[in-house]
Amino acid sequence: MKEILRLEHVSKSFVGVKAMQDISFDLRAGEVHCLCGENGAGKSTLIKVLSGAHQPDEGSIYFEGQQVTLTPHLALGLGIQTIYQEHIVFDSLSVMENIFMGLEVARGGFLDRSEMRRQTVEVLQYLQADIGPETNMGRLSSGQQKTVEIAKGLVFKRKAIILDEPTASFSAAEIDNLLEIIKTVRASGIGIIYISHHLDEVFRIADRVTVLRDGRKVSHYEIQGLTKTQLIKDMVGRDPSTFYRREAVNIGEVVFEAHHVSGNGVRDVSFELRRGEVLGFAGMTGSGRSELMEVLFGSARLDGGQIRIRGKEVRHASPKASIRNRMCFITEDRQNTGLFLEQTIASNVMVANMVNTRDFFASPAEDVKVGDGFIQKLLIKARDAKVRVMNLSGGNQQKVVLAKWFNTSGEVFIFDEPTRGIDVNSKQEIYQLMVGLLKQGHAIIMVSSDMPEVISMSDRVAVMKDGEMVGLLGKEQITEENILTHSIGDKAV
Amino acid sequence: MSDRTPPESKDTQRASIFRRHENLTVTAIFASFVLVIVLLQLSISGGKYPTFISPVNLLNILQQVSVPGIVAVGMTMVMIAGGIDLSVGMLASLVSIVAALGVSKWHLGITGSILAGVATAVVLETVMGFIISRVKVEPFIITLGGMITFQGIALLLCNSREVIMSGELNFIKANLIAGAKDPVTGLNLVIPPYVLVFFFIALLAGILLKYTKYGRRIYAVGNNQNAAFLAGIDVKLMRLSVYAIMGVLVGIAAIMLLARINVGIITLGQGLEIDTIAMVVIGGTALKGGKGNIVGTLIGVFFLGSIGNAMNMLRLPSEVQFVAKGIVIVVAVSAGHVSSAVSELMSRRRKVSVPVTVAEVKQG
Repeated sequence: MKEILRLEHVSKSFVGVKAMQDISFDLRAGEVHCLCGENGAGKSTLIKVLSGAHQPDEGSIYFEGQQVTLTPHLALGLGIQTIYQEHIVFDSLSVMENIFMGLEVARGGFLDRSEMRRQTVEVLQYLQADIGPETNMGRLSSGQQKTVEIAKGLVFKRKAIILDEPTASFSAAEIDNLLEIIKTVRASGIGIIYISHHLDEVFRIADRVTVLRDGRKVSHYEIQGLTKTQLIKDMVGRDPSTFYRREAVNIGEVVFEAHHVSGNGVRDVSFELRRGEVLGFAGMTGSGRSELMEVLFGSARLDGGQIRIRGKEVRHASPKASIRNRMCFITEDRQNTGLFLEQTIASNVMVANMVNTRDFFASPAEDVKVGDGFIQKLLIKARDAKVRVMNLSGGNQQKVVLAKWFNTSGEVFIFDEPTRGIDVNSKQEIYQLMVGLLKQGHAIIMVSSDMPEVISMSDRVAVMKDGEMVGLLGKEQITEENILTHSIGDKAV
Repeated sequence: MSDRTPPESKDTQRASIFRRHENLTVTAIFASFVLVIVLLQLSISGGKYPTFISPVNLLNILQQVSVPGIVAVGMTMVMIAGGIDLSVGMLASLVSIVAALGVSKWHLGITGSILAGVATAVVLETVMGFIISRVKVEPFIITLGGMITFQGIALLLCNSREVIMSGELNFIKANLIAGAKDPVTGLNLVIPPYVLVFFFIALLAGILLKYTKYGRRIYAVGNNQNAAFLAGIDVKLMRLSVYAIMGVLVGIAAIMLLARINVGIITLGQGLEIDTIAMVVIGGTALKGGKGNIVGTLIGVFFLGSIGNAMNMLRLPSEVQFVAKGIVIVVAVSAGHVSSAVSELMSRRRKVSVPVTVAEVKQG
């Protein structure tokens, strides 16, 4: 088979982080080459190097045997198309217009709609996709939208297509459909790089597999003879000495219980949470962890089951009721759901505790005083509490979110991705603050996709898959391998 | 912890002076506008005291801006909460017609007519607020629909005619300082009660926005609805309530307008929404919500109100007023952004020049 792309000894660092170290990789025409590895293994960086978004620090890239320096423009010009996880589509335009966006076929200065239409229909028929060329893109399912993006690759005769986590949030039928389409595309001689957390997909479609871990290439296989057990062993096995070491805290009585909780795409989840305990929630993106947290906090509806706080059943009709019941919810998206960016630190700190006070009047001077107190206590780097939150760095913004909740009389804390997008230093500080909560007798539910974080912080780990809790691991059972095995759903390992 | 500050936090220490004092930009523009008019008058009249800033004229301006001023106060709250209200003009016309009919035709008595008018405004605004807070349609569109509907209702009520009163509401525009003379012009000075109502409402709203939990919630909702909801704020209720308050204020403003003109007529509130939105944005309230204050709005109210007056004083044709008003809106709203861009540029230069200064000091 003809080689399309080859990376030789490529390294790439970002400020202090070695994202790729000495990685060699190649892609041949008419094959599916799967990239496996956990979050932070270096898959995304590799893709970005191939699509020209990042320039490698060391090493070289060859396209059809010729050494190249890739820019996004050149990569596309050579025929390398990257389809990212997030759909970048024009919802209100048709399928045809989406395919030809920016690359319209024109004759004499006017769009040649019939020609574009002909090509669109031809490709969609070839892919056996039941999508009309004039359909509004926004009306398609995410599976169909992915198909259209792949169709674009065919229309413009791309040579390599990179698919980053294409099946996140897909139904089983959509996954089947997409894999069939990929097989069709492969048969036409295009090389495909396929990234997925779902190992069963990998085994259904891959010709070759490369495993990355901590920015290094761990292994490389032909699919024949490869087992899931071997693949998982290669993906895990990080050096535990790099993990944060958490202080042990005495575990007390049960403070929060979920009995057969259902709703918001989550089914039948039960667990107990004790004072002084961190219950980690692991699982792949789309496994229903954040959705479960929304139900527990009352920002999504509880359809079935029971929630008890301090032994008393609660019906959380709203976040307001949850806060009164001493719950706190540090969401994963601090900019959109956690902070009031254009307001001051003081206003942000005061906002959640308003449901707990009965006064009508509020004093801005008092707000600033409280805010200043938290700046000192949480070591927020800001001149004073009158600074607007939009001017702070990610780590300091996250601390403002924490201050907002610490200012309520919270006892049960839900942390959804507590350290996402935060520098190493602030990460440690946030871990210390979490331990501080435990010492006060509070309890923490922590959702995290950061495996070292889950392992080092949790007393127990619940693993979610497809909206259900598929495992609850005790302290001594918490290993990367165990978590991964449960979240992939292959308990035979 | 380390003493090193991340680059971001350094920038926060040095916010532009215009940003730190939110109303400074518009105050500066307003002051220079007044100065220009005064200088022009001085040069035309050859050194006589400028009539533009004579007590009688200042009180005149005050009377002219009281009605739009009250509505602008309500508009400020609506806009801080992330909404807008295009219906206020036609709603004011409708209220004036209802009250005028109440007095002259339905025999509701003066108090009854006033209450009927205000209640009409409150009910209609609350209905719009209900729809806006429950249905995910832009407030712009809902209140546009409201504006057209209210116009229709008003015209139906009065059969497309004007409703003439015989001065029953004159007590609202009685002169509280009858007999006082302007030392400059010798004319009678007038302060009617409705001017005090305007000040009182502005004061109340200012306190509400700055010193109450309700005010804080309005800013939070306008700034980030999702985060507000998750922080335990009843977002729907907040969005509804600002429209209900707007109803009260439009009702009061419309009654005052009716008292001044003495005729209930459809043109009474025409263009009121445009004027008040202009006043509010000149005062620094953001269209996207979450930002603004009553002091800024008051400056916007007086600024826009004095433009027409100044043009009259300079004997410029009324058409010029529109041009001037339009330019003022554009200048006032973009000035804040321009000034912060300029101060950013200057601070960047200062940063670059720091090493040089240090070297110089060492040499010296």
